[in-house]
Amino acid sequence: MKLCEFVRPASLSQARASLRKLGPKGMPLAGGTALHFMPGKTPVSAVDLTHLGLSYIRQKGNFFEIGAATPLSDIQRYRGPRWAMHEICRRISTHQIRNVSTIGGNICRVFPWADLPVVLLAMNARMVIYSGKLKEMDADEFFSSQPARLFRNGDLLTAVKIPVLKAQHGFGSVKATRNAAAFSMVTIAALLELKGGVIAAARVAAGSAIPFPKRLRSVEAALTGKEPSAETFRAAAALAGTDAKWCKQEGMSAEYVAGLAEVSIVDALERAAEFARGRTA
Amino acid sequence: MKTNTCSVSLSINGEKKTFATRPDEKLLDLLRREGYKGTKYGCGQGTCGACTVIMDGRAVYACLLYSMQAEGRKVRTIESMGTYDKPAPIQQELVAAGAVQCGYCIPGIIMSATALMETEKDISDEVAKEYMDGNLCRCTGYEKIWVALRRTLDRAAAEPAKKASPKGGKK
Ligand SMILES: Cc1cc2nc3c(=O)[nH]c(=O)nc-3n(C[C@H](O)[C@H](O)[C@H](O)COP(=O)(O)OP(=O)(O)OC[C@H]3O[C@@H](n4cnc5c(N)ncnc54)[C@H](O)[C@@H]3O)c2cc1C
Ligand code: FES
Ligand code: FES
Repeated sequence: MKLCEFVRPASLSQARASLRKLGPKGMPLAGGTALHFMPGKTPVSAVDLTHLGLSYIRQKGNFFEIGAATPLSDIQRYRGPRWAMHEICRRISTHQIRNVSTIGGNICRVFPWADLPVVLLAMNARMVIYSGKLKEMDADEFFSSQPARLFRNGDLLTAVKIPVLKAQHGFGSVKATRNAAAFSMVTIAALLELKGGVIAAARVAAGSAIPFPKRLRSVEAALTGKEPSAETFRAAAALAGTDAKWCKQEGMSAEYVAGLAEVSIVDALERAAEFARGRTA
Repeated sequence: MKTNTCSVSLSINGEKKTFATRPDEKLLDLLRREGYKGTKYGCGQGTCGACTVIMDGRAVYACLLYSMQAEGRKVRTIESMGTYDKPAPIQQELVAAGAVQCGYCIPGIIMSATALMETEKDISDEVAKEYMDGNLCRCTGYEKIWVALRRTLDRAAAEPAKKASPKGGKK
């Protein structure tokens, strides 16, 4: 994507005003790493969001709040009680990319390889959007289709709120790649709530091997009320094909990808159960 | 819409500079045209690490930054490291280990290693590998680069102890 102007607003309201004035010629810029690869012959004006105080992580009551312009490396290094976001951030691309690319850039325009939407769907995160005033949207609505739809009129993502996991909660994510820094072949994230030795609630999401990240509702239903055992996980994972049509990838048939996804679902569920039993890293 | 020219002010290797640029000029292109040619162009798409520089203490790819994103920032390039006559410890160790073949990846490797050493304390292999995961080398197979880095880290770890010991050593 070509840039014809670089705008540095001094406040969030100025940023929104600039974007509204620019219309389709305006483009929010956070880390800018995705902008280099976006198609489009018409040059755009980049509106820089990196000097608006949107880079922070803090715990506020039952949520961790992550500013939209927080680099992935900060999320990777942060530690808070029962914090689980570092696991996936460490697996995104390379050190240099993680130092620049931001959580907002990863989720406001979802590319097929994006890992964070999968994790935020499973985590039941809430997005904070500035539209003159602040409003919140849950992950299911935010990722119901391409989130860029929400930002066409100059509105901006300001933060992502992630529920602090309780003692009975467990989270696990798995990203299957050909090599350490490669794009994902399939990404799975799972949140389990255990009560009295059974799974009281489950959220399982997938991405990369399907056209758009989504929750696997049949898998979730098959887990609920059952013991968190290897058999339960395998039986639930076998239903993933009901929720998702796995796509073939370079060198891999759709059947192979479906098998990979099933194994990854079982791994993510095992990690989540382990987390609930006390694993923290 | 025509592309405007604009200017960017930043610190490069400790010197304050202002350059005319374009909104879509990459930081890598600006650095190279201004003579900082040690920063290399490899893939131009954020995968090889040849263009690594340090911006405000963090290793970044200059090929994936617009020059305007460097406004007010402190940028360090390979030119801020040792010279031929007075190489920095990491440069000495890379040479001693035979870790430099064609040398194209080496400026980026040195900048990532420098960011590691200037940011972290008590550096484990895991942390070192994480800092180095964005730099590819097509020649060496990494083993010798790794040996050189480990030796540099061990040297740095031994240094404060040396400085702390009383002058004259053992009595
Ligand atoms: C070589 C390479 C490998 C990669 N590998 C992976 C990977 O394995 N997994 C993965 O998940 N990602 C991967 N990425 C993607 C990388 O994480 C994205 O480039 C990044 O998430 C975009 O972040 P950014 O801050 O640079 O966004 P930008 O490029 O600044 O913006 C991206 C989009 O989001 C919009 N936007 C940004 N912030 C806001 C906001 N606050 N409000 C509204 N709109 C906003 C922008 O307008 C733009 O449309 C890779 C990228 C590269 C270059
Ligand atoms: S030239 Fe920048 S990463 Fe390859
Ligand atoms: S020495 Fe040739 S690429 Fe590393």
